[in-house]
Amino acid sequence: MNDIIGAAPKRVDGRLKVTGKAQYAADHGLDRMAFAYGVYSTIANGRVTRIDVDEARRMPGVLDIFHHGHFADLYRPPSMQMNPAQIERLVKVDETRLPFEDDRVYYAGQFVAIVVADSFEQARAAAYKVKVDYKEEPAVATLGQAKKAQSPQSSGSDYSRGNAATAFDSATKKIDATYTTPVETHNPMEMHATTAYWEGDRLFVYEATQSVVVHRNTLARIFGLSPDKVELRAPFIGSGFGGKLWAWPHSAATCAAARAVKRPVQFVLPRPQMFTTVGHRPETEQRMRLATDSKGKLVSVRHESINGTSFTDPYSETCGSVTKSLYSCPNLAVTHSTLQVHHGTPTSMRAPGAAPGLFALESAMDEMAEAIGMDPLAFRKLNASTRDEGKDLPWSSNHLQEAFDKGAAKFGWDKRTPAPGSMREGHEIIGYGVAACNWDALRCSSDARVSLRADGTAFVTCGAQDIGTGTYTIVAQTVSKISGLPLEKITVQLGDSSFPPGPVSGGSWATASILPAVAEATRDAIEQLKGFAVENGPFKGADAKALQFAEGRLVNGNDTLDFGHFLREQRLGSAEGEAHTGVADGDVSIRSFGVHFVEVRWDPGISRLRVARVVSAIDAGQVINEKAALNQVEGAIVMAIGMAMFEATHYDERNGRPTNNDYAEYMVPVHADQPPEMDIMLLDYPDYALNEFGARGIGEIGTTGLAAAIANAVHHATGKRIRDLPITLDKLMEDAPRVTA
Amino acid sequence: MSDSILPGRRTFLKSVGVSSLAVAAAPAWVQAAQAVRVDDSEQPLKPGEQRINLKVNGQTHTVNVPANAVLLDVLRDRLQLTGTKKGCDHGQCGACTLHVNGVAVNSCLSLAVSHDGDEITTIEGLEKDGTLHPVQEAFWEHDAYQCGYCTSGQIMSAVAIINDPAIGTDDASVREAMSGNICRCGAYKNILSAVQSAREKMKGAS
Repeated sequence: MNDIIGAAPKRVDGRLKVTGKAQYAADHGLDRMAFAYGVYSTIANGRVTRIDVDEARRMPGVLDIFHHGHFADLYRPPSMQMNPAQIERLVKVDETRLPFEDDRVYYAGQFVAIVVADSFEQARAAAYKVKVDYKEEPAVATLGQAKKAQSPQSSGSDYSRGNAATAFDSATKKIDATYTTPVETHNPMEMHATTAYWEGDRLFVYEATQSVVVHRNTLARIFGLSPDKVELRAPFIGSGFGGKLWAWPHSAATCAAARAVKRPVQFVLPRPQMFTTVGHRPETEQRMRLATDSKGKLVSVRHESINGTSFTDPYSETCGSVTKSLYSCPNLAVTHSTLQVHHGTPTSMRAPGAAPGLFALESAMDEMAEAIGMDPLAFRKLNASTRDEGKDLPWSSNHLQEAFDKGAAKFGWDKRTPAPGSMREGHEIIGYGVAACNWDALRCSSDARVSLRADGTAFVTCGAQDIGTGTYTIVAQTVSKISGLPLEKITVQLGDSSFPPGPVSGGSWATASILPAVAEATRDAIEQLKGFAVENGPFKGADAKALQFAEGRLVNGNDTLDFGHFLREQRLGSAEGEAHTGVADGDVSIRSFGVHFVEVRWDPGISRLRVARVVSAIDAGQVINEKAALNQVEGAIVMAIGMAMFEATHYDERNGRPTNNDYAEYMVPVHADQPPEMDIMLLDYPDYALNEFGARGIGEIGTTGLAAAIANAVHHATGKRIRDLPITLDKLMEDAPRVTA
Repeated sequence: MSDSILPGRRTFLKSVGVSSLAVAAAPAWVQAAQAVRVDDSEQPLKPGEQRINLKVNGQTHTVNVPANAVLLDVLRDRLQLTGTKKGCDHGQCGACTLHVNGVAVNSCLSLAVSHDGDEITTIEGLEKDGTLHPVQEAFWEHDAYQCGYCTSGQIMSAVAIINDPAIGTDDASVREAMSGNICRCGAYKNILSAVQSAREKMKGAS
């Protein structure tokens, strides 16, 4: 046994990343490769009436120009229910309409043509010369406009227990508040990209994807091919945050173009198209009604959520999913519904549902605590659930109360004085805010293959991918844990659909799903090795069950045998192990918990708001790699600071066009926005209900709750309750007292 | 374009090595791509093209480039130096940062034709004889990345900042100076630690 699990080895792929040798989808230059560039709709609703490609077609280097009048006949991928037990069979897209299906335009930025040329410069120059005429129809630009014109459509995921309406009406202590969150855009640093080529009827694709397996399955359906004929590679992905979970139109368009021009084609979407045709977190409006008894116990919780979706697909942002179980309440109702807007189809963005949902719930909890004159932390501690009342199951492992206590002690919550604006230092007003965080822990099916090789090394393959979370490294740690081999003798390959199918890298599923498969495959390889050893060689005739394997050696009593040496003597190349592992079973509810404490500083003289300090205590099960796990939570907090204070995709109310679709106008946190103090505690309680290592996954949890913690801190500092994200300075300056000299 | 400088169509199969993460060896064809030298001097100029010499990481290339080609695309598409990344093409994210004559620039905002005769250092040029630059070493040690896509730009900016006497050495100054390099994964805390620790090591070495 070694203590590699929970240690902090640096990443096994680190050298490739710091030397520029890690290769992403657009880093694969292929012989005779052509380049694609898109032409995107400038209207949000209507029809293309004419496409004039004559001038563009005559430009130097142009190979072909594809549009709805000139494009391959493709098949729509079927709409499948997600079944975590059979993730290897999943086919999924969020935008079901294929590129160039017809002349209809449903959102600004929808593909109307793509140009393929010998060079990137030629393709771009020609794309600018494609002339498109439209018949424009009025666009629904925002959720607010949709509300005036449509009735919300239920998403079919409503939930209730007790009678929340009656309990609310009869209560004396209650709040009723509505919270809104804007469209947010994933904006991974690596723009979506596809490099595709065909060999006969076989399709090869380098893709920026969070699931090589699902993407492979999806392209196979679109092109009417057996999945065996399609191979996806994504050895490195410039992150995705949910935006790269499922295939978007550019992927099929590039593959079709490569088939038509009979050359490899590379297509990198420009940054402005990260906001239009590859998903986003939709706009939400959430009405929260909370009521308590005289002691501060919740007696009614109502969470009604509406989100915007496209006119082509009904995407539901399940804001109330967390509300069902985080706090104890006998009377509770959650509804989800959608309204249609002329945007591209939304998709999962880091902590889908929970991120906007907990902004509303944890802001409302703060308002409720204030209404009854209770400390907001004490109010949460009083109401935290002791079992999952939504599923009517016990928690597998829930250390939220300990997180509250440890976080509060480290943060110094006891120094908080309750009155808004009551804590000052110099010209700054200090605000303290708290909010719980919460995310479900899920495990999907996974396969893995492990070879113990004659050169004394282990070689691992799995059709999962490392989107930046450290999957390569934790897989190596797992093999090291089971085999005793040091990390430098373990080679891990991921990101190839021809490998044994692995999990999607999303939803915080990957770690919990891949580790059991890798461990099982390692044990399987060791068993095969033991079988070889009792058939021939010095341990011939021994009982295989009595053999041990430790530190890379077979052990029989006092005798040991180097496995590489043994394999070479037997003229064997390797001992092979394979595994298929499934989902967790058992009558328990498995979730991750935590809390964020935030200190903001508001300088009213110059209207400056800063997050000065974040202290978080996170209960996400066993930590596998401490470096990578802390990095995940810290990064999630940074992204959530963006959600709280900067991020919103704006659409022109007159025509539905995005107005800030680039990295200068869509504000995300930069180095200077990093809180000077950030202190993350990982409670590190293994949750063996989920897998043998007790790991739950840690990608999403840090994103949840933080926006509410900031909003609550802002309220404590300024007395202003901002219910509409992001908390931009103009919202704090409204009604601000005039500064006098 | 000379086909011979590019990996062949069988790249897909060969490039297995790229995702092979044994710490010991860098994959073979990546090294081959690094060693590529482009010489277009025998190629006739097409309309609108100009011939320029670029000295990249010590290697001189003679490249025929169209007037509208930016430095980033020429490095990536012609010289196969894909370590420098495209994150926005508008000078807004910093992923394409490299050094021109020792100064950090956004290579996506710079036309290639304006760099005739310039000395360019990319991320591929920092490592010397198999030894990582102290900033590279520190980024690895401090887990100063997640997905790694912005890392080349972060490292090139960090090297420039450490070497720039006009930029303060305190944390706030470094944060301010590095703010042109977005890390959407949010690894800013670790990047700051890496920069400050590399600064100490570089001081010790000089």
